[in-house]
Amino acid sequence: MQDIGVKVCEPACKPQPALDRRALLVGGGTAVAGALAYGWMKARRQTPTPVFVAKGQRYDGPIEQTIRDGLLACGLDPQRLAGRRVLLKVNLVEPTRTAPHMTTHPAMILAAAEVFRRWGASVAVGEASGHVRDTEMALVESGLAPVLDDARLEFVDLNYEDVAWVKNAGRASKLAGFFFPRAAMEADLIVSMPKLKTHHWVGVTASLKNMYGVLPGVKYGWPKNVLHHAGIPQTVFDINASLPKTIAVVDAILCMEGDGPIMGSPKRMGLIVAGLNPTAVDATCARLIGLEPARVNYLELSAGRLGPIADNAVIQRGERWREVASPFVILDRPELQRLRSPAPGVLTS
Amino acid sequence: MHWVDDILNGLATATPSYRAGGSLAAEPLALAAMALGAHGRTADAARLCQALTSLASADGSVGIAAGQPTPGWPTGLAVLAWSGAGGAQTAAWREHAERGAAWLLATGGKSSPRSPGMGHDTTLRGWPWAEGTHSWLEPTIFGLLALKRTGRGDHARAREAVRLLIDRLLPDGGCNYGNTSVLGQLLRPHLAPSGLALAALAGERDESGRIERTIAYLERTLDRQTTSMSLAYGLIGLAAHDRSPPAADAWLQAASERGGREAAPFQRALLALAALKAECPLIFHKPISHQPS
Repeated sequence: MQDIGVKVCEPACKPQPALDRRALLVGGGTAVAGALAYGWMKARRQTPTPVFVAKGQRYDGPIEQTIRDGLLACGLDPQRLAGRRVLLKVNLVEPTRTAPHMTTHPAMILAAAEVFRRWGASVAVGEASGHVRDTEMALVESGLAPVLDDARLEFVDLNYEDVAWVKNAGRASKLAGFFFPRAAMEADLIVSMPKLKTHHWVGVTASLKNMYGVLPGVKYGWPKNVLHHAGIPQTVFDINASLPKTIAVVDAILCMEGDGPIMGSPKRMGLIVAGLNPTAVDATCARLIGLEPARVNYLELSAGRLGPIADNAVIQRGERWREVASPFVILDRPELQRLRSPAPGVLTS
Repeated sequence: MHWVDDILNGLATATPSYRAGGSLAAEPLALAAMALGAHGRTADAARLCQALTSLASADGSVGIAAGQPTPGWPTGLAVLAWSGAGGAQTAAWREHAERGAAWLLATGGKSSPRSPGMGHDTTLRGWPWAEGTHSWLEPTIFGLLALKRTGRGDHARAREAVRLLIDRLLPDGGCNYGNTSVLGQLLRPHLAPSGLALAALAGERDESGRIERTIAYLERTLDRQTTSMSLAYGLIGLAAHDRSPPAADAWLQAASERGGREAAPFQRALLALAALKAECPLIFHKPISHQPS
């Protein structure tokens, strides 16, 4: 019998201690332990948080510089990343070369990889494609395969990774915990790199919803129907509550409107949105496409618990969102139309 | 050395996993066992079939990996591997296969009343990826093939699975993970599930013409550049309906020579299975009697 040594992490496994967002902040100062640290984090989730928006962006432009500037403007301390493992969690839900507006553009992924590499981190790209079991096909159709090969970037197929069980820290859904792939648990930092799109069930998909794609298909299926049955808004919140070490860099250059996240139409925005708090980033993304964040169920759940969503609690870096916002076409369904931001000048009670 | 022999030698020695150097997993293990057995490497297949028994639970199901007894979607594949294996322990594996088939008959996907937003018939029951969820395409295919292989092709659950699979084929041919349209919007077909569905539907009658259009979709889409998994399942699906592109062997060989991410036992086993053409153990040409069970 040949050696078929098993490396699967048992459910009792706990994630290894890793860098948290606080440690990445400039001026984080001396480490504060225990309850004091928890209180500091809790306060941070409710206090003003910077989000960076850059306009006039193109995939063939200097987007590496934009991403670097954006993360620095939001307070990322690059010195903390030297020697650390960074996982770029991209969106390759159902790639097809006929719809490049569905998935994270390879140029964005390469640019972000270079940013973190230059800061001394080791970088891997990861995804658990939600609708495609043939991962190589997903990489080819998205245009990412040659980019990975040319840049010698490791790709981690999160659909088929060994898993570790982590307690559900959010508890908005009935799920007791999640099976996260080893690469996600061992990363010191996960960078959510979604495509900004409308979503026909929950309104908008950006960095928080993108984390559905961390969960392995071998445990959750294609699609990840376990999560659907447990409630999409609830599980979006729960997954992000259970994965604390995340930041966001959003591909909002060529977006998707209408029947997103798969069959929608292209919408050119020319934006990159970045921040150290994915909830605040997504609240800004919702405003950019004409939705009221507090009406998006998973943002409402996240508000004040994972980060701020109120306009006055998000510190704008770079462009002001009002000046670059452009309402997206939303399916003509009441539950989606109710998510729209009130038109300027309309009184609401 | 013929490229298939090269693959078989690798399957006989490597850990059956989804990526080169990865951990043992039930699906690549079952596929490797089938490939080795069908190519006459009985002793190697027997060792893998034995390893597969270590992933079986008392209820007959087979989990995704050691220490991961749920979900049980690989059970159908394990039943196929055990059913086709020969050698001295045939009787013991048959027993495992029977228990797996019994587990399949005792479980199934969650059905629901027809929904105007979903294009497919949500009342049909196949098999889910994870317990307590809806029926999807590939687990239903694995379940159906297992029932056919164990002589249960006429069982009501098998017949319902056939109806489900045809219902999930797109009107213009092909299928994806298992949705046809959502909120009135037709979805796109994918190669791998289309091929697998055709394999499971070999010998089945289809008045809708969707099977024929799925064959046409695969014939016009597969080519030398197609990635290993999609190429293998696509060719297996075509072989199930007595079709084979003239360059199929050359495409398979080209795929077998790719390195990197495609050089994993999972993809290699699929290529070896596709090389068997109509003799692939995922194909059942025997006509089904369609008698009520």
